[in-house]
Amino acid sequence: MADSNTINDTISNTTNNTINSTIDKTVQKITATPAIDMADILSAILILIIANLLIRAITFILTSFSERVGIYRINIKMVLPLLKFSIYGIALYYILGNIFNLTSPQSLAFSGLLGAAIGFGLKDLFADMIGGIVITLEKPYQVGDKIYMGDYYGEVTDIGLRATKLITPDANLVSAPNYLIFSQAVASSNSGNPEMMVVIELFIDHDSDAFLAMKILKESAVTSKYVYVSKESPFTVLLKDYPFYRRLQAKAYVNDLRYQFEFESDVTRRALNEFSKNGIKAPNVNILEAEGYGKIAKRWEP
Amino acid sequence: MEKEEAEITGFNEEIINIQAAIAGFESGHKLNIAITAEPLAGRTMLINEVEKINYQKVTRLSFSSTVKNKGEISLPEQLRRIVLIDDCQFLYTRRIGGFHILEDFLELMTSSNNIFITAWNLYSWKYLEKVVNIGKYFPVQIKLPKFSTSDIKECILSRYKPNEIKFIENEYEKEKIIEITRHPVVIKPLKNPIDIPFFKINYDTLKLRLFKKEKNISVEDVVFEKIARISNGNPGVAKIIWQNSLEYPVIKPGKIKEFSFNIELDYNESFILGVILSMGTIKKKELSEIVGYDYGIDETLFRLLEQGLISIEEDHCSIKPEALQSIVEFLKRSRLVW
Repeated sequence: MADSNTINDTISNTTNNTINSTIDKTVQKITATPAIDMADILSAILILIIANLLIRAITFILTSFSERVGIYRINIKMVLPLLKFSIYGIALYYILGNIFNLTSPQSLAFSGLLGAAIGFGLKDLFADMIGGIVITLEKPYQVGDKIYMGDYYGEVTDIGLRATKLITPDANLVSAPNYLIFSQAVASSNSGNPEMMVVIELFIDHDSDAFLAMKILKESAVTSKYVYVSKESPFTVLLKDYPFYRRLQAKAYVNDLRYQFEFESDVTRRALNEFSKNGIKAPNVNILEAEGYGKIAKRWEP
Repeated sequence: MEKEEAEITGFNEEIINIQAAIAGFESGHKLNIAITAEPLAGRTMLINEVEKINYQKVTRLSFSSTVKNKGEISLPEQLRRIVLIDDCQFLYTRRIGGFHILEDFLELMTSSNNIFITAWNLYSWKYLEKVVNIGKYFPVQIKLPKFSTSDIKECILSRYKPNEIKFIENEYEKEKIIEITRHPVVIKPLKNPIDIPFFKINYDTLKLRLFKKEKNISVEDVVFEKIARISNGNPGVAKIIWQNSLEYPVIKPGKIKEFSFNIELDYNESFILGVILSMGTIKKKELSEIVGYDYGIDETLFRLLEQGLISIEEDHCSIKPEALQSIVEFLKRSRLVW
C-alpha cells in the first residue's frame, strides 16, 4: 500500500510540475511580447484618421468626376462602398498585425473581448457592418439609386460602414441602418440605371373623349424634356374605366432619376392644360369627395 | 479661288444602294428610303446627286421651316415617279399636337404609288424612331458615314485648281506630343475655381513619331489628317475648319485650331440646344412654342450664344459647325439626344 501511495504521489507531483511549468512558459511568452503602449494606440488612431481622410478624398474626387459624366454617374459611384470597406479592412488588418503585433493567444483574447462587446452592446453595430458588407457585395441597391427602405424613400447618397444615407424628396437626410437589409424588403426603382419609370395618373369624366385624352397624355409624356425612350425603356398609356370616372395612366421613363418629380409635374401640367383646351373634363368633384374616393380627390387638390 | 460647284465625294456606296432601291421600285417593289445624317454631314449634297442622276424622273420637295399646314405637304398634280424630300425633320415639332403633320405625311406616303426618298436630321430620326417607330415606314435606311481623310481631302481640294493651294510647315510649328491644358475645378470652400493642369496627348503626332512616318508624310497629308480628326469626319465642319485656317493660297498645319468648348448649361438650356441640334435650324418663334411658358427663350438663347454654341441669323437659330462635336457629346452625356 505504502509503495502504491508513494507511486501516486510521485505521479501527482510530476503532473503538477509539468502543468506549472507549461503555465509559466505561456505566461513568460505572453509577458515577453511587448505590451500595447500609448504609442501603439496613437499610431492606430493615426492610421484610422488617414484611412478616413483617404476615403473622404476618394469620395470627393469620384463624386465630383461622376457629376461631370452624366449618365455614367451611378456606375462610378457604385465603387465607393467597396473602396470604403477595403480601405477600412486594410487599415484594421495593419493595426492588428503590424502595430499591435498580436500573437495567437492575444488574438484569441481580442476575439473574446470582441465577442463579449458584440454580445453586450455592439451587436447592432456589428449587424450594421455585416449589412454594409452584404450591400456592397450583393448590390441590392447602389449609391445614386432611388429606393424604398423601411418607411423611407429617397436617393442613396452614401453607403457607409454603419448606415445607408438617403436624401428624401423633401431634402431630409435619412440614415437608415444597414441591418435593415436583413429584416425588411428594399425596393430599388432603377437598379443602378440612371433612368427610372414614372407612373403618371390623370382622371377624366365619362363624357370626355377618352381617346383624345390618351393621345394628349402620350404626347405630353414623349415630348417632355425629361423623357427617355429606348427599347428597354418603352412608354405606354393605359385607360381604366371606373363607375364614376376614367383613369388614364402614363408609364414612361425619366432620363435621370433626379428629375422624377419634375417629369411628373411637367407631363401633368401640360396634359391638363391641353385637356382644358379640348374640353376634356375632370370627374365631378362631388363624386371624388364621396366616401372611398378621398384618395383620388386628394390628387386634384391645388 | 473656289469653284462654284464641287463634285460629290465619298457617297458611292450610298448612291449604289439608292439606285438599287429605285431599280427595285421600277420592277414592282416599293421601297421608301430614309437618309439620315447629322447636321452638315452631306445629306443635301447626296440628295442633289440623286436628283442629278435621276433627272426627269424626280419631283423634289423641300422644307425650310416647321410645316404647320397639311397643304404644305400636298403633292403636285404632275408628280414624277420618284419623290425627293430634304429636311423631313420639319414635319414634326416636339410639343403636344406636334406630330399630326408627320402622321398625315406618313399616311400620304404609304397610300401613294411613288417611291419616296427622304432625308432626315439624324437626331430627329433617332427621336422619332423611339417615339413613333418611324423606321417601319422606310424599309431602306441609309445613315451617312463619316468621311475618311482622303474623302475630306478630295472634297475640299475639288474646289481648287491643281497646285493652287500651298501647304507649308515651319519647323517651329511642329506639333507637340504632349500639351498642357488648364481646366478650372470648383472646390466648395473656395470662392474662385482653381486651374488644374491636365496633360493632353496628341495621338496623331505620337503615332507619326512612333512609326517614324513623320519624315515620309507630306505636309498636305498632315493638314488633312488634322482636319479629319477635328471635324470627326463631318465634311461640312471640315470645310469650315479649312476656311478658318486658310491664308489663301497658303495653309499651315500649325494654324489649324482645335476647338474646345467647356459647355456649362442648365437643364432648360441644354434641352433647347438639343432641339436646335435635332432640327438643324429653327426659328426663334418655333422654339418659344416648344418651351411654352416654362422659361424665357431669349435668356436661353443668349446663354447659348455667349458660349459660342449657336448662331442666330434672321431669327433662325443654328448650331455653330465648330461646336457640333462638343455639343453632341455633351447632349448624349445628358441624355437629351439619344
